[in-house]
Amino acid sequence: MLAESQLSRRDVINGLAAGAVVLVAGRLAPTQVFAQAAAAAGTALNAWVAIAPDGIVTLQCAHSEMGQGIMTTFAAIIADELEADWSKCEVVFSPVAPAYRHPVYNWQFTGNAESIRSYHALIRKMGAAAREMLIAAAADRMRVPPSDLAAREGSVRHPGSGRTLGYGELAAAAAGKPVPAEPRVKPESEWRLVGGGRSLPRRDIPAKVEGSAIFGIDVKVPGMVYAAIASAPTLGGKIANVDRASVAGTAGVLAVVPLDYAVAVVAEHYWQARLALEKLKVTWQPGPGGSFDDANLAAMYAAAFASDAGWATAEAHGDAPVTLSSAQRVIEAEYRSPWLSHAPMEPMNATVSVTSDGVTVWAPTQGMQMTQIVLAKVLNVAPEKITVHRTFLGGGFGRRLLADFVAQAALCSKAAGRPVKLIWSREEDIGRDWYRPAFLDHARAALGPDGLPAAIHHRLVAPSILAPVSPVPVEPGTVDGLAVESLVEHPYKIANRRTDYHMLQVPIPTMVLRTTGHGPNNFALESLIDELAHAAGQDPYQYRRRLLAENAAALAVVDRAAALAGWGKAEAGRVHGMAFADCFGSYLCQVAELSVIDGAIKLHKMVSVCDPGRVLDRVNATSLIEGGVVWGLSAALYSAVTFANGHVRERNFDGFRVVTLPDTPELVTDFLQNRPAIGGLGEVGPVCVPAALANAVFAATGRRVRSLPLAREGVFTIYGKTFS
Amino acid sequence: MAKFTFTLNGAPATVDIDPSTPLLWVLRDHLGLTGTKFGCGAAQCGACTVHVDGEAVRSCVYTIDSVEGAAVTTIEGLSKDGLHRLQKAWIEHQVPQCGYCQPGFIMAAAALIAQQPKPSDADIEASITNICRCGTYARIKQAIRSAVMP
Ligand code: FES
Ligand code: FES
Repeated sequence: MLAESQLSRRDVINGLAAGAVVLVAGRLAPTQVFAQAAAAAGTALNAWVAIAPDGIVTLQCAHSEMGQGIMTTFAAIIADELEADWSKCEVVFSPVAPAYRHPVYNWQFTGNAESIRSYHALIRKMGAAAREMLIAAAADRMRVPPSDLAAREGSVRHPGSGRTLGYGELAAAAAGKPVPAEPRVKPESEWRLVGGGRSLPRRDIPAKVEGSAIFGIDVKVPGMVYAAIASAPTLGGKIANVDRASVAGTAGVLAVVPLDYAVAVVAEHYWQARLALEKLKVTWQPGPGGSFDDANLAAMYAAAFASDAGWATAEAHGDAPVTLSSAQRVIEAEYRSPWLSHAPMEPMNATVSVTSDGVTVWAPTQGMQMTQIVLAKVLNVAPEKITVHRTFLGGGFGRRLLADFVAQAALCSKAAGRPVKLIWSREEDIGRDWYRPAFLDHARAALGPDGLPAAIHHRLVAPSILAPVSPVPVEPGTVDGLAVESLVEHPYKIANRRTDYHMLQVPIPTMVLRTTGHGPNNFALESLIDELAHAAGQDPYQYRRRLLAENAAALAVVDRAAALAGWGKAEAGRVHGMAFADCFGSYLCQVAELSVIDGAIKLHKMVSVCDPGRVLDRVNATSLIEGGVVWGLSAALYSAVTFANGHVRERNFDGFRVVTLPDTPELVTDFLQNRPAIGGLGEVGPVCVPAALANAVFAATGRRVRSLPLAREGVFTIYGKTFS
Repeated sequence: MAKFTFTLNGAPATVDIDPSTPLLWVLRDHLGLTGTKFGCGAAQCGACTVHVDGEAVRSCVYTIDSVEGAAVTTIEGLSKDGLHRLQKAWIEHQVPQCGYCQPGFIMAAAALIAQQPKPSDADIEASITNICRCGTYARIKQAIRSAVMP
């Protein structure tokens, strides 16, 4: 069933009038890009499809483009069902409106690798519905039954007579036709734009190599001025006093804006704002955690373990504790993943114009609806008065689900009485993030007589990652469903399994990061499985096969990865490490191939085999997995934030290290399509990388590293020896 | 404030500005060329790479007073007639993901191949030290290799 809101034409037209933003038109100047928004429409057939008399089709992309290729693949799914001529399709970022909300969560955001898997059925229907309306309009014009007509590449044809009518000629009449409740979606065999190993050149790429693509930081609107911001020197600290006189007369300064835990300076130009911010004298109150550091945090994790309070059971099958207490052989280990910053390449920024008539936002955001709600609250205006234009995102990795930086820009605009572009420095970006918290998993496994695990019991301590992005409250003492991912509901056949979770309360803002709970928990689970295989004297690949014996699709993924890697047949001096995941609705198996040279590791190859049910765009899917592997290598090898004096030590890429070009191994990527439903891809690629790497390090050196990043445990790559 | 005159993408440019202003912000805020990106502000990521007299420099730490009289080329001026061969290779290999780092990589690679028309893999690894958080390095390497193929 199609939700009513998605089919109300009035909604649609109101939505379009609110101004979708065309960012695909490569060579336009920034100001023109936004001016063009109103002209993009044509006749709307539903919330997703509008057709102009010249046959140009405008397709709405509900999601944000941050490199996952969504604006191309999402639109191509609609265009395929619509039987549109792809060369005549334009893609725009949709307004923030009910029609574009996640069909289950009723919430518009881009994240959790959901953009395709959760919208696929809906947008296929919307494309198909529009196609049937166009056919109905053509049937009237040609005076033939609709069943005699065929739609193909932007026109409706009557095969009997050879007569053809273009979509542009039909759109106005089609818009008056009833919306079919159950349009016929095309069988997969008739897909022409997506699936079947096809790939479309991404729409956003030419502008991105010309330098003309408009990211949030590139927005220019008339009368705009700039803001720079500095947050409290301890996390959660607040302003005690701002000495405005300290920047009186400083070139370009327009306003000093105290913002609770930060202070901003608005100036005519960005560098003037930065210079004034350095001069500005501010006294701060310490945050609630005072001058806490890594040792305090470690003690908090340890205390949580020692205590019986605060635990909730996330999953229990059979009786793991009883099996463990009577087991002959128990393997016990603790796995740690560090605090991480998102550090997308484009620092946080937003441009906002607050006027008495309403609020206009231009922002690189993953949380479009969140932005509207947060601004409505902060500015005390009705959400309908807030128009959110979405730009390209220079990465997001979850950070841009929040709207804190947009709210700051709005308050600056209000104070300065001008449109303001607020830009965070990289030091602010890494030093005042909402961090992916450290995960500490204490695992105990009982080995049965066959060497396979008869029971596994995880006790996980981690702060909530879901709370700040959840539309409903996440209470301490309960289970954060994202934090326990991969420890629960994994497809390994283990009769007795239990996961207990303690939601640690910390004086640090925490939230999701790409890979959500799967990242840290896969490192724990897949390191453990490797340890169990070795303890049982079995090959880690064959061990996983035994645990997945009843799951043909998962087995196929593991087998394909082993075959591509040449498992067991590595050339002299090289070793393999494997990890497997069931995450975001997809299966993934990765095999790392490395050797040890002068005490440092050289990563030669990373094989990734993924089953996301259906691959809709082959080149783009490959790109997502490849990029994900490299992103995962940063997390596995180098990246972490640490704390001293109530604040993060690492402030830029010298401290928060990431992988660069030389560390990138050969990447071998393949896909299977056995899972029944479409799965995600955007967050999948990095998931198994840390465990695959750590398992390979064990194979090479006999040393089991149970804590990330590897470099902090003394495991360096031949390029990374300078790590400090 | 002081006046600085230089050549920008082949045309004369003059700005009247605080001499400590980094070239990056002069390009972006004063001259309207936003293809050059801000990533770290500390010469660590290369997102801000432009050419000054043919050399790749990180414009976030390159103050305007050192640009006086020089010839500056940005991503917008890399090619006079359509796309540079690196840009074509970038499209062919579908290199960018979010794309934010890519102008910097292209400018760094363009400076490399202008000086070393046939760079080896080791040359590429040694001279392309930019950061891409989306992890597009493998395709960047392929695109550079294909652009310098005869
Ligand atoms: S912004 Fe200049 S090197 Fe990063
Ligand atoms: S493509 Fe996103 S940072 Fe490089």
